[in-house]
Amino acid sequence: MKNTPKALSFTVQSQCLKTRARTGLMKLPHYTVKTPVFMPVGTQGTMKGILPDQLEEIDCEIILGNTYHLGNRPGVDVLKKAGGLHKFMGWNRALLTDSGGFQMVSLLKLAEITEEGVKFRSPYDNSEIMLTPEKSIEIQNCIGADIIMQLDDVVQTTFQDYDRIKEATERTSRWLDRCISAHQRPTEQNIFPIVQGLLNADLRKQSAEEHMTKDVNGFAIGGLSGGEAKDDFWPMVSLSTGILDNNRPRYLMGVGLAVDLVVCVALGVDMFDCVFPTRTARFGCALINKGQLNLKQKIYESDLNPIDTDCLCETCKRYTRAYLHCIVSSETVACHLISVHNIYFQMRLMRTMRENIEKGTFPEFVKQFMNEVYPQKTFPSWVVNSLSSVGISLE
Amino acid sequence: MRFIVTKAGYGSERIGNLTGFVKCPNVVIETPTSGLFTQGGSIVHLTADVLARVFTNPQILVMPLTNSIQLETGVKAQNEGVTKFAGLPEHVACVTVNNFSEIVPPGHFEPGKIPLWTKHGKRMTTADKYMDIMEIFRPDMFLAIADGCMSVNETPKRLSKAVDRTCKLLNTCVDRYKASKELKNSALVGVVVGAQNQKKCDECIENILKHVDCISGVALEGITDGTDLLKEDTNQYCDIFKKIGGALPKELFRILEGCWNPAMTLSAIEHGWDIFDGTYAVKLTNMGIALKLSFDVTKENETPYLLDMVDERYKEDFSPILEGCECLTCKKHTRAYIRHLLNTREMLASVLLSM
Ligand SMILES: [Zn+2]
Ligand SMILES: [Zn+2]
Repeated sequence: MKNTPKALSFTVQSQCLKTRARTGLMKLPHYTVKTPVFMPVGTQGTMKGILPDQLEEIDCEIILGNTYHLGNRPGVDVLKKAGGLHKFMGWNRALLTDSGGFQMVSLLKLAEITEEGVKFRSPYDNSEIMLTPEKSIEIQNCIGADIIMQLDDVVQTTFQDYDRIKEATERTSRWLDRCISAHQRPTEQNIFPIVQGLLNADLRKQSAEEHMTKDVNGFAIGGLSGGEAKDDFWPMVSLSTGILDNNRPRYLMGVGLAVDLVVCVALGVDMFDCVFPTRTARFGCALINKGQLNLKQKIYESDLNPIDTDCLCETCKRYTRAYLHCIVSSETVACHLISVHNIYFQMRLMRTMRENIEKGTFPEFVKQFMNEVYPQKTFPSWVVNSLSSVGISLE
Repeated sequence: MRFIVTKAGYGSERIGNLTGFVKCPNVVIETPTSGLFTQGGSIVHLTADVLARVFTNPQILVMPLTNSIQLETGVKAQNEGVTKFAGLPEHVACVTVNNFSEIVPPGHFEPGKIPLWTKHGKRMTTADKYMDIMEIFRPDMFLAIADGCMSVNETPKRLSKAVDRTCKLLNTCVDRYKASKELKNSALVGVVVGAQNQKKCDECIENILKHVDCISGVALEGITDGTDLLKEDTNQYCDIFKKIGGALPKELFRILEGCWNPAMTLSAIEHGWDIFDGTYAVKLTNMGIALKLSFDVTKENETPYLLDMVDERYKEDFSPILEGCECLTCKKHTRAYIRHLLNTREMLASVLLSM
């Protein structure tokens, strides 16, 4: 029995009778988040020109910040003096930070991983820096997010060498122990372990089972969504959610396309993050159920419809595709407007799923959704197979 | 649309009201005022949703045709005017020709045509073509097309040509305007050029006054080609504000375009100028500078009114830009946060400073 109050309590509200989908309430120090939830990514402590007030109105309950970027700018000292990222950026709801490790390995080709940590050269002053599990937690303790991530040993998802994958998986578990003992604010922040093992079922099983024995309040599933075939992706998600227990939230890292969200909710995932909705907005692309509209295309020149006729976001209420087409490549306003729609789109999809799970109509919703996305019934095999594994037959 | 002077000062300064906008009959816009500068029909950096958090009442949107001409196809298809198409139907549009906060390349003229420097290059435009676009845009007010883009030190020959051309263009605009059903709710604004030459300038004003039955206001051009006015010698301009202001009938509202600093703007207000184009705020925002004027005459304003937000000294400054300011930025965000956003080139920085 622990005496300290928990920084997270998760209660399952309703469980789909057919699939593994469930809704829940995740009570965090700054906010109680309804799951399944999508977390937009605000890399540098801001969300593509959108105000915190606007994010609240779009119904964002938790957003993600990148430790690597925030640790560099504004830096730990400034964040400490500001009283944490919440206060610094004026965001009163929940926050999650990553460990910084993934950013480092993906951004900096020269990173070198040893048992001690991730060694790399600073892009700012070229000095040698060592990011250890302890250092990552120290920075994340300063940022003060509700949920923080363990430092994991990141290997490219499509990497093939078994020994290296095994080493990374086992090292991730060792680093988890170091992160947990370095954690200074366990009553205010939650460390999530990251299930590794890439596409190797045995290693992933081993990783998930090992994490299950730890005193943590939730789990992340990592090492996926890195360019692997979808047929390889979903079994790993399914394997992980099958092992991780039902009483704690499960967070699938880096997944955010609409079809992926629907499938993975059916497989029992509770939390998602992805840079895609805001990144694609920068290129003038607006999300709709069927995919996306590239508003730069000339076909929208006289199109007086909103991005999505059924959407109630501030952008769709006021602006036509034709107008967005006119300003999409020249005005920052266009990027803000499309970002607002895209984040709203993600929030609406998650809300629709929660409502259907609660009403007991989730399997019907999934079928209807897939039929809308693939009107010719050209369902990809991974969608058919993953859904049939949880009892939904598309054909 | 109507303009009335509600209060005249001891000098030439005055307070006035713009009223009678057909789409918003109860709206009163008090002058002197600054419009909000737009690009592509949108307030620079601010969406309609964010704008509504800053202003609850209708504002004048200053829309230079050079940066909004690409909206023509869409506005035409929708057929509800430019403010509706740009998502800002509750605001009042004032269409102008050029953006005088950026350098406009020197003219190269063909008879009856004015060059418009759009982002897709130069478009030679006749008064008729211009009026065609106005009939599609249907702004609440618009400037007559004019040859108004030149530096204050232009040669007498160029000045003289500019005045002649501007008069001819205005005559065409007036003819079209009188015959136009589409523009019956839009106010036409005449343009004065040639201020540097008494005789030619008088000619230009005379020509405007000839059409005073259908003209509601006057704009002053021909004193800048968009070169940086912030550093210019000021007396020369103050004299012009005074001279032209004094030569115009009181019942016409007066628009002054260009990126003037607060001191110059005050001088223009003193000489009876009513409406400014809002480019100063845009320019500062784009340079990462916050404007901090308390407008409180009871306090000596000794502190600098411009804050360079990129400066190292704001790194750990957790106070708002202006203590006591009611704007959303000051109420919720600190100098340190804005500095961070500027340093990371995040777009929210521009949003917050614009407010
Ligand atoms: Zn929308
Ligand atoms: Zn303020």
